[in-house]
Amino acid sequence: MTTRRFIVEPRGLASARLTLAVPLIAVLLALVVGAVFLAVTGNNPWDVYVKMADTSFGSSRGISETLISATPLILTGVAAAVAFKMLVWNIGAEGQFLMGAVFAAGLGIALGDGTPSALAIPLVIIAGAIGGAFWASISAVPKVYLGTNEIITTLMLNFIALNFMNYLIFGSSSPWRDPLVPQFPSGRPIPESARIPEFFNRLDYGFIIAALLAVLAWFLISKTKWGFEVRVVGDSADTARYAGISVPRKFLGVFLMSGAFAGLAGSLYVAGPVGALDPRSLDLGLGFTGIIVAALARLNPVAVIPVAILMGALNNAGPALQSIQIPAATVTMLQGAILIFAVAGEFFIANRVRKPEKKPAGAPAAEGAGAA
Amino acid sequence: MADHADTLAVEFRNIDKAFYGVKANDNVNFELRRGEVHALLGENGAGKSTLCSILAGLYRPDAGEFLYEGKPTVFKTPKDALAAGVGMVYQHFRLVSNLTVAENLALGHPKLGIRISQSELEEEARQLGDEYGLPVDPSARVWQLSVGEQQRVEILKLLYRNAKVLILDEPTAVLTPQEAQQLFKTMRQMAEEGRSVIFVSHKLHEVKQVSDRVTVLRQGTTVGGADTADAEPRDLARMMVGRDLELPTRDENLDIGGPMLTVDSLRVDGDRGLEAVRGVTFEVNAGEVLGICGVSGNGQRELAYGLVGLRIPTSGTVHLDGEDVTNLTVADRIDKGFAYVPQSRLGMGLAPGLTTEDNLGLKAYRKPPYSNGPMLAAGVFKEKGGQWITEYDIRGVRPGLPIRLLSGGNLQKALLAREVELQPKALIARSPTRGLDVGATEAVRNLVLAERAKGTAVLLISEDLDELLALSDRVLVLYEGQVAGRMPADEATPERLGLLMAGQKEEAI
Repeated sequence: MTTRRFIVEPRGLASARLTLAVPLIAVLLALVVGAVFLAVTGNNPWDVYVKMADTSFGSSRGISETLISATPLILTGVAAAVAFKMLVWNIGAEGQFLMGAVFAAGLGIALGDGTPSALAIPLVIIAGAIGGAFWASISAVPKVYLGTNEIITTLMLNFIALNFMNYLIFGSSSPWRDPLVPQFPSGRPIPESARIPEFFNRLDYGFIIAALLAVLAWFLISKTKWGFEVRVVGDSADTARYAGISVPRKFLGVFLMSGAFAGLAGSLYVAGPVGALDPRSLDLGLGFTGIIVAALARLNPVAVIPVAILMGALNNAGPALQSIQIPAATVTMLQGAILIFAVAGEFFIANRVRKPEKKPAGAPAAEGAGAA
Repeated sequence: MADHADTLAVEFRNIDKAFYGVKANDNVNFELRRGEVHALLGENGAGKSTLCSILAGLYRPDAGEFLYEGKPTVFKTPKDALAAGVGMVYQHFRLVSNLTVAENLALGHPKLGIRISQSELEEEARQLGDEYGLPVDPSARVWQLSVGEQQRVEILKLLYRNAKVLILDEPTAVLTPQEAQQLFKTMRQMAEEGRSVIFVSHKLHEVKQVSDRVTVLRQGTTVGGADTADAEPRDLARMMVGRDLELPTRDENLDIGGPMLTVDSLRVDGDRGLEAVRGVTFEVNAGEVLGICGVSGNGQRELAYGLVGLRIPTSGTVHLDGEDVTNLTVADRIDKGFAYVPQSRLGMGLAPGLTTEDNLGLKAYRKPPYSNGPMLAAGVFKEKGGQWITEYDIRGVRPGLPIRLLSGGNLQKALLAREVELQPKALIARSPTRGLDVGATEAVRNLVLAERAKGTAVLLISEDLDELLALSDRVLVLYEGQVAGRMPADEATPERLGLLMAGQKEEAI
C-alpha cells in the first residue's frame, strides 16, 4: 500500500570500524569540497594540498611546528569533550584558555628570575589551570545552583576575557606589558626559568604534558568512581539522583575540570612557545577550534590527540599558503567543512539507512522504521 | 450482513509495521463495524497500540491494505484521520494544560476562525458533556482536573469534532472501577448513535461487559475474534497469552515478622509546592507486602520519594528497623537497606545509555569489591553483572550495548535483580509489572514474592488492583494524600477499594 524509497532506522550499536571510518570520511569529503572551491578560484587543488602537507609534515621542522600548534588544541579539545559528554555546554574554552594564559604569565612574571625551574614551571602550569577553572566557575556556579544557561554565559565571558587581555597589554601599563618597548605594546616575557624546555627543534615538553593530560582525562572518566558518577549524571540526571549521586556537585566538577583543561592550554602555550602574554599569538580562536577537535574525536579524550595534530597541521599550513597567493582563510574553511561533515556523519553512526526490501507474495514483511 | 461494505467503518487487511526491525504488527486483520464497541484485546506489546496509531494516522503501515468506509485510504497525519472522522484518546493525554477545557476543545478545530466567543464555546462544551455523561467544568484549566476528568476532555474533543470512529487506548487504566462504569455507559451511547468505538484493553471482565465483538492480538498478529456474547473469558485469556494463565500469588501460610518500615504522620510536598502526602501513617512488617492503591496522582509518587530520600519530608518520621531515617540522603538510605523500583524504568531506575553491567552496579559501586578507594573495579562489574544476567535470565545483553535497547521485561528484571541483590530490609516498588508481557510479569511477581519470603518489608504501590490483591497481605488506599482506608487483602474487593479511591468515606460503604 505504501512504499518508501529509504528506510532510516536507529542502529543499536555501531561497530568500531564504522565509528573510525566516519570521521575519516568527513575529512576526505571536506578536502573534496575544498578542492572544488580551489578549482573554481583558479588554483590547482592538488598542488595546494601537496604544499600544505609538505609544510606541516614534510620536514622535521614542519613536524615540530605542527605539534606545537597541536598542543593547545589537545587541551581545548579535551576541555570541550569532557564537558559535552556530560551535557555541560561549555563553549567558553576560548575565554578560559585566555584567562589561563593571563594567570600563567602573571605568576611567571611575579616569580621572577630567582625561582628554580623545577618549582617555577609546575607552578606556572598550575596557575593556568586555576585561571581557566576560575573563569569557568563564573558560569558554572550560577548554572548549577540557579539554572542559568551556560551556553550564553560562557560565550559572553569569552569576549570579556579577550578584552581583558587586550586591556592588560594595549590599554594599560600593567605588569603583563613589556616596559622595555613602550612604543610597541607587547607582553612582558616570563623569565627563562619558567619556560618549558625544548627537545625537538622548537617543540617543547608541553606537547608531551598535553598528551598525558588527555590520557589522564580519559582515565578519570572511565576508570574512577568519580568518573562513573559523572557518566551516570551525563546519561540521566534523574537516575543519578535515584542512585544517590549528588548531581550539582558532579556538574560543577565537570565544568571546572573543563575550564582547567582549557586554562592549561593557555599556560602551556605561554610557558612554551610564546613566552609572554602576547595577544597576537594567543587570539587565534584555539578554544573554538577545540570544539571542532572534540566533535571530530567523538568526545573521546584520547582520540582528541590525533585530531588535534590534524587541526594543528592545517593551522600550520595556513601562512605557507599565503606565500603561493592563496588566502590563509582556506584553512578555516576546511576546518569548518570538516566539522559539518563530522556532525552529519554522527547521523550515520546512530542510524542505518537502507532501501526497503521487496516483498514477494507470501514472504515475510518488509521492515520499516517509524516516521512518527 | 447483507450489505457488508456498507456496515464496515474500518477494514485492515494484512497490515505489517516494524520498528527498528522488530515487527509490532505482522499480518494483522481487523474489521470495525458501524455502531459497535469493538474490543481489541492483547498483552502489552501485542501490537494493539501500533494498530490504533496506524488507524489514527500517527504511523503508516509498511505493507497491507487499509479501507476506510469501504475505500482504500492513507492517513498521512493525525489531522487527516481526524478530518475523515477518526480520533484517538492516547494513554498519555494530549491536552494543553494551561488552557481551559473549552479552549482545548476549540484548539485546531477547522471551523473556528480567529474570533471565538469564550461563553459560546463553554456552553457548547457543557451541553456536549451533559449529553454524553461526561461532566466537566468547561471553564476549568486542564491542569486543575483529575486524570479521569482529563480523559473526559479528550473524549469530548473527539465528539466536538464529530468523530465517527473513536479509539480509546486502555482508558480504564487511570480510572476507579466506578469511573470505568460511567465510561462504559458513554461508550454504549456513542455506539447506539452509530459511532464505532475501539476499546483497547487487557482486562477480560471489562471487555466482556462493554463490547459487542472482540479481536485478540498476540505478538503482533491477530489470533482470533468473536462476538463477545459467545466468548468464554477463559478462551479469550488463552488466546491472548498463548497458554493457560496462572500468575503467581502470595503464599498465605508464611509467617509475618515485626514492624520493619514505620511511617508516622508523614508529610511530603508535591512538585508545585502543594502538599502531596498529607499525614500518612502505616507500618510494614518483615515478610509482609503492603499494597498501596489509589488513582494515579494521589500522592503515591511523593510518598515513595519521601521514603527513599528523593524528597525530604516536611514533617513526620520514617523508621527502618527501628532507626530514624527521615532526614538521611538517598545514598545513606540505600546503605541502611532501602531498595526502590521506580515507576519509570528508563527515566529513573536505569541509566539508558550505559551498559547492563554498569547499570547492575549502579547502587553497589561505592563500596568494595566494586571500587577500591577512588578506583573502579571494572572486572567486578563484568563478573557480578554476568552472573546476575544468567541468574535472573536477562536476555539480549551484548558487550557495550546500551541497556535502553533491551525489552521492557528484561529492563525490569535487571532493575529488580540489582535492587534485590542489595539484600534490602525494605523494598518499595511502584507498578513493577506495568507494560510487561505475561512471562516477565510472572518473573517480576516471583521476585517480589521471594523478597517477602526472605523477610523483607515490601511496599507495593500500584494502580493495578488485580495485582495488588494477588500479592498484598494488607491494602491501604490513598486519596488526596491521605489514607482513605486500610484492610486485610482478604476483605478487599475491587468495588470496595474503588469507592475509597474515589474519595468515599469508609462509613458510607
